[in-house]
Amino acid sequence: MEKKLLFSAKNITKSFYGTQALKGVDLDIYEGEVVGLIGENGAGKSTLLKIIIGVQPQTSGEMTMHGRPFAPADPMAANKEGIGMVFQEQSLIVNLSVGQNLFFGHEKDFMRMGFVNWKKMYEESKKVLEEVNCGYINPKKKVIDLNFATRQMVEIAKVVNLTKSGHDDQKCLILLDEPTSVLNEEEVQNLFKEVRKLTAKGHAVVFVSHRLDEVLEISDRIYVYKDGENAGNMDIKDATEEKLYAAMVGRETTTEYYHLADQKPAGKEVVLETKDLGLSGVFKHCNIKLHKGEILGICGVVGSGKEEICSVICGDEKPSSGELYVNGKKVDYSSPANALHDGILMIPKERHAEGIVRNLSVADNMALSNATLLSEHGVVSKKKVNDQADEWIERLRIKTSGREAELISLSGGNQQKVVFARALASQADIIILNHPTRGVDVGAKEEIYALTREVVAQGKSVILLGDTLDECIGMSNRVIVMKDGLITGEFQADAGEKPSQVSIVSLMM
Amino acid sequence: MAKENQAALTIQEEFAKKIKAENRREKIIKWAPVLVLLALIVVFTIARGSAFASVSNLVAILNQWAIPLIVALGLTFVIMLGGIDLSIDGTVGMAGSIASVLVMNTLNDNNFGIFGIIIAILCSVVVGFFVGLFHVKLKIPSFMVSFAFMNICTGIAYLSYSGTPATVSDPVLKALPKVSFLGIPFITWVALVMLLLCIYIQEYTPFGRYIYAVGTDETIPRSVGINVDHVKIKVFTLAGFLFGVAGVVGLIRLGQGQAGIGKDLMFPAQAAVVIGGTSLSGGKGGVLNTVVGTLIMTVLINGLTMMGVNPNIKTGIQGIIILVAVILTTKRGATVISK
Repeated sequence: MEKKLLFSAKNITKSFYGTQALKGVDLDIYEGEVVGLIGENGAGKSTLLKIIIGVQPQTSGEMTMHGRPFAPADPMAANKEGIGMVFQEQSLIVNLSVGQNLFFGHEKDFMRMGFVNWKKMYEESKKVLEEVNCGYINPKKKVIDLNFATRQMVEIAKVVNLTKSGHDDQKCLILLDEPTSVLNEEEVQNLFKEVRKLTAKGHAVVFVSHRLDEVLEISDRIYVYKDGENAGNMDIKDATEEKLYAAMVGRETTTEYYHLADQKPAGKEVVLETKDLGLSGVFKHCNIKLHKGEILGICGVVGSGKEEICSVICGDEKPSSGELYVNGKKVDYSSPANALHDGILMIPKERHAEGIVRNLSVADNMALSNATLLSEHGVVSKKKVNDQADEWIERLRIKTSGREAELISLSGGNQQKVVFARALASQADIIILNHPTRGVDVGAKEEIYALTREVVAQGKSVILLGDTLDECIGMSNRVIVMKDGLITGEFQADAGEKPSQVSIVSLMM
Repeated sequence: MAKENQAALTIQEEFAKKIKAENRREKIIKWAPVLVLLALIVVFTIARGSAFASVSNLVAILNQWAIPLIVALGLTFVIMLGGIDLSIDGTVGMAGSIASVLVMNTLNDNNFGIFGIIIAILCSVVVGFFVGLFHVKLKIPSFMVSFAFMNICTGIAYLSYSGTPATVSDPVLKALPKVSFLGIPFITWVALVMLLLCIYIQEYTPFGRYIYAVGTDETIPRSVGINVDHVKIKVFTLAGFLFGVAGVVGLIRLGQGQAGIGKDLMFPAQAAVVIGGTSLSGGKGGVLNTVVGTLIMTVLINGLTMMGVNPNIKTGIQGIIILVAVILTTKRGATVISK
């Protein structure tokens, strides 16, 4: 059977503020097929989907839909051409009914004498829901009263309806971004059933997921992206988990990059230990030991629970089960200030939102975590603050016009160094680095790696959530792998005996 | 036993259970305002017996209810957006004052009748429009803009009668406070008409849906091509209209125009909206919630007065009520859906 090309993207690139999220990826989709899209965090899947749906334009590259050039200005334009997307974070208005959500923005089609004719809208809703075999959903129910699986189906119904508006015979393309992350097994099977019904009618579906088994089950063809580039495009007949893992992980960088010569074996002394730690609905049964002078990497996809473990350790969130020991003493933190008192500090991921105060000076930003250390008789000593700033600006080679410069005037890498300086100056012994190299350039990355090595050389311990797998393996003494809230593996990662990326990815997905 | 149970659950099941428990809690709390209202009625009926539950007191409550209801209706839409409007005391006072010097009055020779009233309300509409416009276009928080306008409007109110408040001498306006139909006072009828208007807007126009959407997450309406800025400006304009109507009703009730007509309306109105269950974070609640909320406030004040509670203590009680309501609703807003 001759397959008809529905959508095609050629050599799409996208740069944000100097970093290149997409370096040229392709995607061809034929009518009636399910295309799986996989790759590590940051491989560029979500970026590409956003370009296709018109949320953001590509930097370069061409797309076609139904054989015509396609460059949507916004999601509506994409909808008109027959492309719809179910976003990872659901886009339903929870306090409105199902029907009102389905036709949201199209109420004018139902106006009669100044009133919205709800009866007619609900009748139409019924038809739309039946179209995706969800006739059992009552369109008058409020979305807030539905479970996640049902909401997901409502989203799909809404998207199918949007993309078909006007021309009933038009084939459409539905993009599903991580649709299964909130569903249980039975619900996933249901979703797959609906997806197959859609494709039987000639529509096409793009399925993005971290769960490889699901991608293998539903897809007809699988695209693999890696660091914003094509890393493979295989038919389901040829795809195996092993092949996909191998395609997903990329080159392994040189030892110099991560200063492996400076990697020292960790000490024996356990500085932090979790016993059966859990956070209801997020992760459980987590037993982690962190040694003195160790860099412990935690790998896992978004939603694996690795970030939440760190939130619990640094006192931002209270665990719902298990225990936490610091230097052999059982602790129970109620705030990050408590944790800092015991020497635990997190350098947060969202630097702009959580890590820095944009309009404070470099010196004041550095003094935020250790104001007490810098005070005399209860008053913060300006001199000590300035001395500290001068010392760290020099030690970390921070490029700034001076300690009085507002932090916002520094480059991303240098802002991150200021955040590091604050952590180091605070005299914390256990530092959690949450994606420390996100959004900084290559040069600054290397300096951050060198700095991290220096930190552990001083006898401090680090928990690292790396931006890439490569970074996590390259930097760590030991790597813990998490999947769906459970620890699925642990690897020693001494210099010269690093585990392979494939072995870790296979436990992550 | 419970612990064993928990161990048997997978993380996903735990997550689903958590969400379910939260939804259940939310459903229960949804009815809390109605229960509070019923409880108040029962308590006051027991405490004061026939004095509270009499027809004449019921009429009095309806009379006291009218202005707070009109004001709170306007505020409801603003809060549903996730905004706030602090201009109330000023705009209501301004509308009442302007109306008083345009209709037949003791201060000047004006006699524009109904047109005077319309002009007064229009002034308030324009203020609402500007609050919305400045808030949206200059990206200034709505509480700042509206707070500034509260002072501007109070100033305009004083200026309109330049020191000596005008007493209404228009015979129709003077007679209206005593008019009642089906036992319900005229000004309460005005409030009920406004209520119907708001129900219509909320439930039967696309605009009503957009208010919910903008309050929930602005990106959703934006992605279907709705002009979010216009929705916001319209909401503040509508609020301005209702504050204007409240000002005129206040004038009719008092018989004299002065800036004081709007005095101390704002906080009880905020309290009423929030107590009714409209969340300060937006996207939730609505007009009917505000009906319950304003009734709670009115019945409470009426009941406390009957029981001879010191007026200063009454003010304090209002503050505590606001606090409790805010605590309850913010908890309600913080649904854990980020996994």
